[in-house]
Amino acid sequence: MKRLITGAFIVLLLAPVAFSQELTADEIIQKLNDQINTETSYGKSKMTIVTTSGQKRTFIQESWSKDRGEKNLVRYLEPSRVKDQAVLMLNHADDIWMFFPRTQRVRKLATHAKKQKMQGSDFSYEDMGSGDAFIDDFTSTRLEDEQKKEQDCYKLELTRKQESSSSYSRLVMWVIKENFLPVVIEYYDDNDPTSLLKTMVASDFRVIDGIPTSMKVVMFNQNDNTQTEMELLEVKFNIPLTDDMFTERSLKK
Amino acid sequence: MKKILQHLFLLFLVSGSLAAQEKIEIFGYFESQYMGTIVKSEYYQLFSNKLRFDLKSDLTENITFAANFDYITYHGKKEWNILDFLSPDIVSQVTPGMESFYVLPFSNRTFLDNAYIKLSLKHFDLTVGKQQISLGTGYVWNPMDVFNIKELVDPTYEQPGHNAIRLDVPVGNAYTLTALCSPDDTLKNSAKLIQFKGRISHFDYSLITLEKVWRYHDYTQFDFEKKNFLELPERRRLLGASTAGELFGMGLWAEFAYNWMESTDDFYELVIGTDYTFDFQTYFMVEYYRNTLGKTDHRQYSLNDWMRIFTAEQKTISRDQIYMFIQHPVTDLINLGLQSIYSISDHSLALVPVLNYSFSENIDIMVYLNLNIGKEGTVFSKDMGNGGMLRARIYF
Repeated sequence: MKRLITGAFIVLLLAPVAFSQELTADEIIQKLNDQINTETSYGKSKMTIVTTSGQKRTFIQESWSKDRGEKNLVRYLEPSRVKDQAVLMLNHADDIWMFFPRTQRVRKLATHAKKQKMQGSDFSYEDMGSGDAFIDDFTSTRLEDEQKKEQDCYKLELTRKQESSSSYSRLVMWVIKENFLPVVIEYYDDNDPTSLLKTMVASDFRVIDGIPTSMKVVMFNQNDNTQTEMELLEVKFNIPLTDDMFTERSLKK
Repeated sequence: MKKILQHLFLLFLVSGSLAAQEKIEIFGYFESQYMGTIVKSEYYQLFSNKLRFDLKSDLTENITFAANFDYITYHGKKEWNILDFLSPDIVSQVTPGMESFYVLPFSNRTFLDNAYIKLSLKHFDLTVGKQQISLGTGYVWNPMDVFNIKELVDPTYEQPGHNAIRLDVPVGNAYTLTALCSPDDTLKNSAKLIQFKGRISHFDYSLITLEKVWRYHDYTQFDFEKKNFLELPERRRLLGASTAGELFGMGLWAEFAYNWMESTDDFYELVIGTDYTFDFQTYFMVEYYRNTLGKTDHRQYSLNDWMRIFTAEQKTISRDQIYMFIQHPVTDLINLGLQSIYSISDHSLALVPVLNYSFSENIDIMVYLNLNIGKEGTVFSKDMGNGGMLRARIYF
């Protein structure tokens, strides 16, 4: 689901862009896409999973992104159980490799793995992917504007394109008019467009390096009654990163 | 070269005070395991405790040191006579009076599993020391990997480290050339390999050529001088290829290796596998493995074949087998799975139901049953025992 949550959280940017009430759905999605995909980024984030039994599981991870989200590398720092495990995603997460440090083995994953939960969280690899998924995988329709989380928002419905491999049949999204960042996204079942699977809520909007950013995202899983919070601890945008950073060699470091 | 020497000098300078460095990371796990099995109406149990320390330190921006220390204790039935698992036909091949030589002992062990330094420069990585060597794309079997044999019931379990000098040279962003030498008693007997890995479209490819002395044994003859079975070292030359990618939305991998043997028959190994994750989170995998060193009928199995399996000298005893694995997250903390391994050659089957429970952030619990369903003399014969294992692992 886009690079909404690159590597560990949400990298949502926005420049004060003049907009018009007459914007079409495609124009809104394009502006959102332009905002959330910086040329490069680095982030350190904390992921907290609240399990069905109410226990909390915390992960700390670093992530790097390049070419407006086309390349992503995620490396886990904590807990010890997953320390130094890493995931490399290229071509908008169409190519995924996982590195397991204890065996020094790199395993190539097919795109169906994007459906799997990342470290048992409510985010799938698809959610953590990046790039132009909102545009490439979905057709957008503008619905009536609404207030959401005390923000004036555009409301959009994104319907999966026939050729798309997305796990979601449709999305309903509230995009803040002021900064074109999504504040709420609803994800609907692959086979039943009326069945709500998950809801993502973004908050704590700040401007980092001149780029509007959501520092916290919570994914609520309606089916499992669980939730996962992604909190950005550190972020840098448009830093120098070379393609060498996004190779198997770098994955194993 | 000057830069390399500078780095090496710096490494030796710094390594002496490594323990005192603040940036050294110490982590690892404690693993307690209980295994029970019924063999010929008798119930046996074996307990083990494993403490593993991992050390890692970035000595400079370009040099990394890593090591693992393992301490393992065993309790319960610490000696298993392999003959207890074999059919009377096979046992009759044992020279009378030598039965006690076929005992596998589980002795307490303390060892340095991995210990290496890695020099990473712009144009290459050089890794020296005892290190993991992982080759191939197969999940359960790896025809290209002459260094390790994975556990059938837990193929992801860590493998022992191997002493080696390894050079990885990236060629562009999508290709890597690897040269490795694992020293033996002479340079001629040392294992040597060259591997070229690359990516074309959504597929990874690799080509490998290697030479290694395969030190297997004749378990019908005893070498009283070495107090072990007679060693039959034989030079093995291998040419292999592997790929991993996706076809029609399903994961697909394949691995092939042809082995030229110095004195025995040449053989080849082949693995083809596929996997898929359904929308409802169920994961399914199937992998086929052929090894022409294996036999096509269980009546051809010899005492040597069995012993080489039990001592992990050989990957399989039957020629064709298929592994299937299905797993589903029944809750956010519990995964239930079923592994099955079917020998196409001797029509025997092993079923391994598995439960993984994430007890807490750093505690995993795994339970599996091992049910062998096959007639006497087959690879998954009932005589292999039916039982299970409980494993708890605490990471720190």
